[in-house]
Amino acid sequence: MADLVTITVDGVAMQGKAGEVLIKVAEDNGNFIPRFCWHPRMKPVGMCRMCLVEVVGPRGRMLVPSCTTTINEGMEVDTQSAVVKKAQEGVLEYLLINHPLDCPVCDKGGECPLQDHTVAYGPGESRFVEEKRHFEKPIPISELVLLDRERCILCARCTRFSDEISGDPLIEFKDRGNAVQVITFPGEPFSSYFSGNTVQICPVGALTAKPYRFKARPWDLEAVESVSMVDSIGSKVSVQSSQNEVVRIDGIDNDATNHGWLSDKDRFVFESIHSADRITTPLIKEEGQFREATWGEALDLVAERLTSFPGAQVAGLGGANSTNEEAYTFGKFLRTIVVTPHIDAQLDDGLDPQFLVGVTPRAAIPDLETAKTILLWAADLKEEYPVLYLRVRRAAAELGANLIVVHPRATGLDDVATHKVRYRPGTGPEVLRELTGDDADYTEIREALAAGPVVGIVGRTGLGEDPRLAEAVAAFVRDFSEGKIMPLARRGNVVGALDMGLAPTLLPGRVSESAAHDVLESEWGPLPEGLGRNATSILEGLRDGELRALIMLGTDPVRDHAEPELAAAGLDGAEFVVAMDQFITDSVAAADVVFPVAGFAEVEGTVTNIEGRVQKVNRLVPSPGQTRATWSVLDDLARRMDGNLGATAAAAIAKEITGVAPAYHGVTWDALDWGDGREGLLLPLAEGVQHLEYIPVDGQLASVDARYGLHLGRVLYDDGVRVRMSPSLAALRPEGAVFLNAAALDALGLAPGSPAVVEGASGRVELPVAVDNSLGDGTVYVPANLESTRSLGAAVAVTVSPGGDA
Amino acid sequence: MKILTERMEAHRTDSHTIERYEATGGYSALRKGFEIGPEAVTAEVKASNIRGRGGANFPAGVKWGFLAPARPAYLVINADESEPGTFKDRQLLERDPHQLVEGVVLSSYALGVNHAFIYIRGEYPKPARRVQHAVDEAYAKGYLGKDILGSGFDLDVTVHLGGGAYICGEESALLNSLEGRRGEPRIKPPFPAVEGLYSKPTIVNNVETISNVPWIVSNGGIAYASIGPDTSAGTRLISLSGHINKPGNYEIVMGMTWRDLIYDIGGGIPGGRELKAWIPGGSSAPWFVPAEHLDTPATIDDVNDLGSMMGSGAVIVMDETTDVVAAAHRIVRFYSHESCGQCTPCREGTTWLERIFNRLLNGQGRMADIDLLIDVSDGISPGLTWPPAMTTICPLGPSATAPVVSIMKYFRDEVEARVVSGIPVALEAADG
Amino acid sequence: MKPATLSEAEMDAISDWSESSQQLVRELLGKYPDKRSAVMPLLYVSMIENGYVTAEGMKSVAVLTGLTGAQVQSVASFYSMYKREELGKYLVSVCTSISCFLLGADDVLAAIEDETGVPDGETGHDGTFTVEHVECNGACGGAPVVLVNYEMVEGVTAEKARELVKWLRDGGPDVVGTEEMQQLFGGAKSFDWAVREPEGAVLPVPAFAPYGSARGVK
Ligand SMILES: Cc1cc2nc3c(=O)[nH]c(=O)nc-3n(C[C@H](O)[C@H](O)[C@H](O)COP(=O)(O)O)c2cc1C
Ligand code: SF4
Ligand code: FES
Repeated sequence: MADLVTITVDGVAMQGKAGEVLIKVAEDNGNFIPRFCWHPRMKPVGMCRMCLVEVVGPRGRMLVPSCTTTINEGMEVDTQSAVVKKAQEGVLEYLLINHPLDCPVCDKGGECPLQDHTVAYGPGESRFVEEKRHFEKPIPISELVLLDRERCILCARCTRFSDEISGDPLIEFKDRGNAVQVITFPGEPFSSYFSGNTVQICPVGALTAKPYRFKARPWDLEAVESVSMVDSIGSKVSVQSSQNEVVRIDGIDNDATNHGWLSDKDRFVFESIHSADRITTPLIKEEGQFREATWGEALDLVAERLTSFPGAQVAGLGGANSTNEEAYTFGKFLRTIVVTPHIDAQLDDGLDPQFLVGVTPRAAIPDLETAKTILLWAADLKEEYPVLYLRVRRAAAELGANLIVVHPRATGLDDVATHKVRYRPGTGPEVLRELTGDDADYTEIREALAAGPVVGIVGRTGLGEDPRLAEAVAAFVRDFSEGKIMPLARRGNVVGALDMGLAPTLLPGRVSESAAHDVLESEWGPLPEGLGRNATSILEGLRDGELRALIMLGTDPVRDHAEPELAAAGLDGAEFVVAMDQFITDSVAAADVVFPVAGFAEVEGTVTNIEGRVQKVNRLVPSPGQTRATWSVLDDLARRMDGNLGATAAAAIAKEITGVAPAYHGVTWDALDWGDGREGLLLPLAEGVQHLEYIPVDGQLASVDARYGLHLGRVLYDDGVRVRMSPSLAALRPEGAVFLNAAALDALGLAPGSPAVVEGASGRVELPVAVDNSLGDGTVYVPANLESTRSLGAAVAVTVSPGGDA
Repeated sequence: MKILTERMEAHRTDSHTIERYEATGGYSALRKGFEIGPEAVTAEVKASNIRGRGGANFPAGVKWGFLAPARPAYLVINADESEPGTFKDRQLLERDPHQLVEGVVLSSYALGVNHAFIYIRGEYPKPARRVQHAVDEAYAKGYLGKDILGSGFDLDVTVHLGGGAYICGEESALLNSLEGRRGEPRIKPPFPAVEGLYSKPTIVNNVETISNVPWIVSNGGIAYASIGPDTSAGTRLISLSGHINKPGNYEIVMGMTWRDLIYDIGGGIPGGRELKAWIPGGSSAPWFVPAEHLDTPATIDDVNDLGSMMGSGAVIVMDETTDVVAAAHRIVRFYSHESCGQCTPCREGTTWLERIFNRLLNGQGRMADIDLLIDVSDGISPGLTWPPAMTTICPLGPSATAPVVSIMKYFRDEVEARVVSGIPVALEAADG
Repeated sequence: MKPATLSEAEMDAISDWSESSQQLVRELLGKYPDKRSAVMPLLYVSMIENGYVTAEGMKSVAVLTGLTGAQVQSVASFYSMYKREELGKYLVSVCTSISCFLLGADDVLAAIEDETGVPDGETGHDGTFTVEHVECNGACGGAPVVLVNYEMVEGVTAEKARELVKWLRDGGPDVVGTEEMQQLFGGAKSFDWAVREPEGAVLPVPAFAPYGSARGVK
């Protein structure tokens, strides 16, 4: 416990923690001191001078900036004195010298601290008669952000963010004194995955986001708190709409997950919500073509067809992009109405479901604040979990944690890593054995790991990697003092879906099917016997005729499964396919019936992030056309199949979950909407129990021996449907390429840009080759899930050869 | 009594060479220092009571005492000399660089520092050449590098050239600059002695301050302290410039009156004209005028008590022909040009002051501008007292208010007349 | 202090620099505990290579110091001596701060503008002169002061300033040295310079040997 210090502000005694700055202690105790440059998540710079207050000391009163002054016992502060008022007026008058008075057309007008402070603390009028400074009108500093230098008040929030927080200092001050401006370098735009944060923290309208510009006036906005479902970090957001259209997403500051920051994907993916490509009516396929249908017609048809198969010949895929309530209803529908055990929310691109939800001891994101050592052996966080990347970056750069990054190529965190290990895909098991053994190369890393607490962030570095390697790494980390594991799973609510039992080996509430089968039958009625198939096996079964029908919930195996050919063959082999989705993805196109369902910002419910933190997502806008909530579609379908799911409302389902799912006992919406629960509830709560305690094993994998090991790594802006449907983000997708180091290019007789062929067991691509010297000998890197690279499929052992006519 | 300039006066043409330096007792203080040990060297500097010559006049020994124990620690010599009116360090750098180098070695030894930096302003290539040459000579002779004179003490010295920015004279801005950053002053605390260069404990001292160290070690701190008034001990270099017959640097013992300084040492005002005002300690200092200050003593504390400062020891003299509005404008313009731009009041306020002055000089002044000048100044330095209260991080912004306050205090009638006629008072007088 | 060894990428960034500049880069990087500290000296080296601070030059310095272009630009633009536009062969800087102002610096500046035909802050069409006024240069005792490529002349009058310009224009010396110019065009000095020094500047970059622009005056 940090020491408490007592101070007096304007005659009121208050307490803060030793080392805290005055402005924060005062604010926490209800005394708001005006400020522009201070931001609670960044180091104070004390530049704007708006927060000056008087501290009364033995040698009289002293004007000090409250944002850089740390409190001491007995400190006496005056925030209201004539001198303070005068200083505040002065600062505002100085700031307005060059600030245009274009509030009516400024995006920030109405929610602008400069405007507000001027009203509250400013002088009546300006005595400045000279001409204001002028700059060229807004200049784009990236694809997403515009800069209006005239409005800038030089608070250094954006520059500090890019330097301190996101680690891509591409936006900086230029010139000196009264000529200072914020700007990028010619040919080096502020193309950061985090650029939108600078717009959010800009205290004036100098930085604006293209997707939001001129869309709305702040006073017209409605907002709800929610959770970003772009990835599994559970970043807290404020979703804002104008006239029933989502126009903006901002981060909400919380200690638990995102500290208020978002990736640009979290922030601008809202464009997909109102895409013209949304499916808005049920569709039935006739002679290879979809036609619009009524709900009654579509539901009847599906009920009839599903009833016609034995339950065990039907399978369900998906649910990892749904809320817990939707996922729960999906699982209950499959297990009790269809009566099938073949269920998987993952597409065999993740980790073992039992490991993912059951590993102990499990690390929470805030554990990164206290970790001494972090072993990161997983995907490139910057590409796949950008907000977690920020937290790890902070741990290493600001909090002094040792960071060990093990990855096949350079990652976004290498610059703050204390140790980097690069390896050829397929040889991970060998690296792990050397690390666990006494190989001299790894002595320093072993020593670092000996200093606990240790957090092991584990996952698959690329799509081809054996998931059991992550488990073996976890088994290794667990042995260190205070070692905790953070297993990574990619899709928005994958942990929630698994917690709701959407895996062959799991039932709702973080319990294994074998252990909880009988208990759940007493709640749900008879359940299918035996363990079902996982995603790959389901697709194989469909292809081979062992399974006959498939129900998909918000999933796109044709793009996302490691073997796209298998996925296509599976859908092709199925006699009947139903899809519940928002878009006609490649997989949905293969369906016989499509139900249009509501999505993010259109439904309420809960989601569970990678830590096992449950948070509430909320509804803000109506879903378009005839779209309906997933649970209500399933409920209708169940009735038509002579069953009853009792899914009358999301809230009712949530109540059922707390009763049925052991780890979710006590997780009520009330608890999530108010008080501490707004930061989410980390499971299990005192009332809940986690029966599943999965001990990771080191299965002593064999390395894959091949001339070339393929690193099929994800990139943030890939061809996933939500990026494709968000025009601002879609424009940022990179071109596909085959990456090799320069020596490999030479050896193959290739020049940069010339075509190369990569071929493995799951497919092949021919693409221009590019140099990446962070790749070791024998490593070939291809970005996953781009239009141009999807045909490759995940394999570790590949061949690389010159393409084209060569 | 001469300490710093004795050698250069006695040996005009070669005082900067190592041969001459050694032949005149140079580097013997270093040998003595190694004999008596680092604590004893520190004790001598403390006993000398020498106050920093960079402008703030802070006692060097006290500052050294603040050096935090973490290592590495650094010593940085402030040779950024940019305060208008000041040119004393340039002479020390050019004419007796080994005196500085020996001071650096002794000080580093006392402080437990193994890497020292000499930060020379960019516009001083010739002084930098001399210092670099002296450093090279010192390396060659074993006064720098590994195991200096068999003492077991190692020291490297890097000579660094600035890029043209007055603010880099402010010690924390200097450290940022030395780290390859913008020369923006840092928030204090932490002070450099605790967290300085590369966040390590660092002592920043002026060229003149450290150039005194060899003498102090050779002759003892007590001997130094006994020169001149108690709180202005030792000799110091005064730079005389402006309307004066004998401009230049003078090493003096403090305590004489301003009249002695300006009329005896400086030879009085050219053409027998009247003295109108002078700035006693660099352009940042509030002005003095003959009627009130000519017979007061030029010591650190006396000047402080009278609301100004000795600062860097630069005395700028203005005779009766001076257009004080134009002179004040020149000084304000300097601070506006040199503001680093961090603090709102400094960045915007100094520029605003400059622009109001521009109007006054163009004959577009209004009476209200007089109050406005004062009020804008007050927003940068509340209360307009000296030493200044500040709404800013560093004293650069408040320095810009000194000339404004000075002309309003002593020459308000001239300013008002300027507003009315648009013509400088001094010119009017000359015309008839 | 040993010269640094450069990585392949670092060498690539300065592959078109002269060998002597490349060597300088290694030496400069070896002088500091942290390579970022070498930004300022390296910017001077880039000026030696390119004549002024170009975008490419800043990019090279960025690679050498592990910074982004924006960070190097931020530093370079803070200081007044890292010129970001092409300069004349002679950068003539006139101090117009208070002490020089009191002794007629404005007239000296006017004379230089007139004689060169180049207004304050600009570079002449023929590329011979860049003229600028600057703030205090530490020669207040020898005011007014003029710098040519940062080599100082003290005690300059308007007439002497014109002669200096003519001398530069007509003679076109490749090296300008403070001693020679002081003798020809200077007057009162801040202090006794005492020694004749044979070095001078060959470019509008301070002639400080470690940064490479100094050379002997004929
Ligand atoms: C705006 C400003 C400019 C300064 N310029 C110089 C300078 O040019 N030279 C110098 O030695 N000190 C200068 N100083 C003082 C330094 O901050 C610091 O006090 C000094 O270098 C410490 O050395 P000393 O204790 O030996 O005097 C300046 C201070 C300020 C606030
Ligand atoms: S007062 Fe001026 S120079 Fe000093 S830190 Fe503030 S802005 Fe920079
Ligand atoms: S908020 Fe404290 S100075 Fe800006």
